[in-house]
Amino acid sequence: MKQLFHSVSLISEKCIGCTKCLMNCPVEAIRVKNGKAVIYNEKCIDCGECIKICPYGAHVAVKDSLDDLSKYKKKVVIPSVTLYSQFGSKVLPCDVNEALLKLGFDEVFDITFACDIAAEILKKDIENVVKPAISTLCPTVIRLIETAYPSLISHLVKILTPIEISAFLIREKYQKQGLKNEDIGVFFLTPCPSWVTKIKELSNNENIKINGAIPISDIYSKMLKYIKHRDTNVNYYISKTGLLWSYSGGQCKAIDVENSISVDGIKNVIKVLNDVETGRLDDIDYIEVLACSNGCVGGLLLVENPYNAERITKMIINKIDFTYKVFDFNNIKNKLINNKDREDKTLKLSSDFKSAVEMIKNMNNIINMLPGTDCGLCGSPSCKAFAEDVAKGLACIEDCKFISNGGKKDES
Amino acid sequence: MLMEELLSVKYDVISGDFIRGGEASSNLKKLLNQLGIRSDVVKRICVACYEAEMNIVIHSVGGYIQAKIYNDRIEIIAYDNGPGIPDIELAMQEGYSTASEIAREMGFGGGMGLPNIKRSSDEFYITSEVGKYTKLKIIIYFD
Ligand SMILES: Nc1ncnc2c1ncn2[C@@H]1O[C@H](COP(=O)(O)OP(=O)(O)OP(=O)(O)O)[C@@H](O)[C@H]1O
Ligand code: SF4
Ligand SMILES: [Mg+2]
Repeated sequence: MKQLFHSVSLISEKCIGCTKCLMNCPVEAIRVKNGKAVIYNEKCIDCGECIKICPYGAHVAVKDSLDDLSKYKKKVVIPSVTLYSQFGSKVLPCDVNEALLKLGFDEVFDITFACDIAAEILKKDIENVVKPAISTLCPTVIRLIETAYPSLISHLVKILTPIEISAFLIREKYQKQGLKNEDIGVFFLTPCPSWVTKIKELSNNENIKINGAIPISDIYSKMLKYIKHRDTNVNYYISKTGLLWSYSGGQCKAIDVENSISVDGIKNVIKVLNDVETGRLDDIDYIEVLACSNGCVGGLLLVENPYNAERITKMIINKIDFTYKVFDFNNIKNKLINNKDREDKTLKLSSDFKSAVEMIKNMNNIINMLPGTDCGLCGSPSCKAFAEDVAKGLACIEDCKFISNGGKKDES
Repeated sequence: MLMEELLSVKYDVISGDFIRGGEASSNLKKLLNQLGIRSDVVKRICVACYEAEMNIVIHSVGGYIQAKIYNDRIEIIAYDNGPGIPDIELAMQEGYSTASEIAREMGFGGGMGLPNIKRSSDEFYITSEVGKYTKLKIIIYFD
């Protein structure tokens, strides 16, 4: 199996093996082995729930830094739309951008422009996929679908995310001006570990390559020094419809599709994807799905709490009277659509059907021996997961305290 | 040898349990993903199994879903212990439903379940006896 990079990772020395993360991982990607947590990379979706719950700071987000900024001739930063919600409602987006320039970037790309382009294409794109169309903004949701809901891949919209569109437009612009692609440094200010992972996946596509994902929480205090407070309604070019992409429900509003739902929080996302699979939601046009509660303003690498951040965004939106009029993008539209088939990363037991069947049988036999208490002492999150681990050879049956103490289940 | 049943799983389905209703199809789906069944086929199985499961929850006194896996296909038996369907032809019509007010409020009762099962399956058999049972047999081939 190929080695997958994940931003969410573990510092073994800090882990005391308490099993909190084990029981709280929504996709059962964590085990405790020899008193230390282990993350199964092929299952991990980078949601960051383990980072939130670990009392010892053992789960962390591996991230990029701005150290090698000077390597590039042109340094362009793409702020997540959520950045504008982090400094209170009196700090205007233009002043946030100005602070970024002071940190050494040559240009702050206006991501709300990319949001408006994405919204415009999305309106039509949702008719080109299996209903209900599912949004692709959140990399955690995409990974969840690719690993556990492969039948929903055909529901995913094909338009690139505003972040990828921004990278594309930046690279195109500076290459036209004669710069070599490798001299253009594109950085994303990320609200979440999920995007740190995602940009690594994008890195073999030169057109939309992003050189680093910097946590907003890392750059925050550096920015504070340069932040000005001036509460006026200056007319600056940032789009109010673009800013809507910050919080849950905003995307649906931006594309103006009424027959839609917005789902936030990873556990809710899982519930709704289950419903989509049964066909129960076939009448809905669009589903906005975001792993964090309240959407991207709930990102783990932000400073402001999600609910206040939403309020701040709305107050800023109220001060703005500007939206990009996007009509003439037909010449680039094709480049902003991802026509490659998404990889089905389902976790099959075996590439051979017969041996997969044998493993299931084996698993079912093991489950019948287990107490069904999901105590977690074996290091697997549930008896069922433990049975699977044993069948796969990742755990041995004596790891179960019930079994090793000679426990037998009553035959009923 | 091709006809040999490789694996069989059975899930109890409880009448009126809307909270757990859907678990059988959800568990079955996970199993099929683990076996590496093609995702479009899994989707059809999932839809058929879910509708059959919810019919047991909503319309019957309770029963079970049994899934038998063969080399080339899955066979799903959805069996319940009544009240049975008096007029199967009528029940199979799109839009026909006797669902209760509560079920309707939960978004069920469109009368689309049985027609959807039929549409999703390669072979579909339904038998019923009033006061005794309803039995669905759904066959879907893997490719
Ligand atoms: N297992 C069953 N036992 C008794 N009656 C049933 C059973 N399954 C279906 N029926 C009858 O057949 C009718 C049609 O079923 P069908 O699944 O097509 O629609 P529905 O369940 O009423 O609505 P929907 O499936 O769209 O939520 C039901 O309303 C009910 O009267
Ligand atoms: S909801 Fe937004 S902030 Fe949270 S993981 Fe997804 S993309 Fe990142
Ligand atoms: Mg029904």
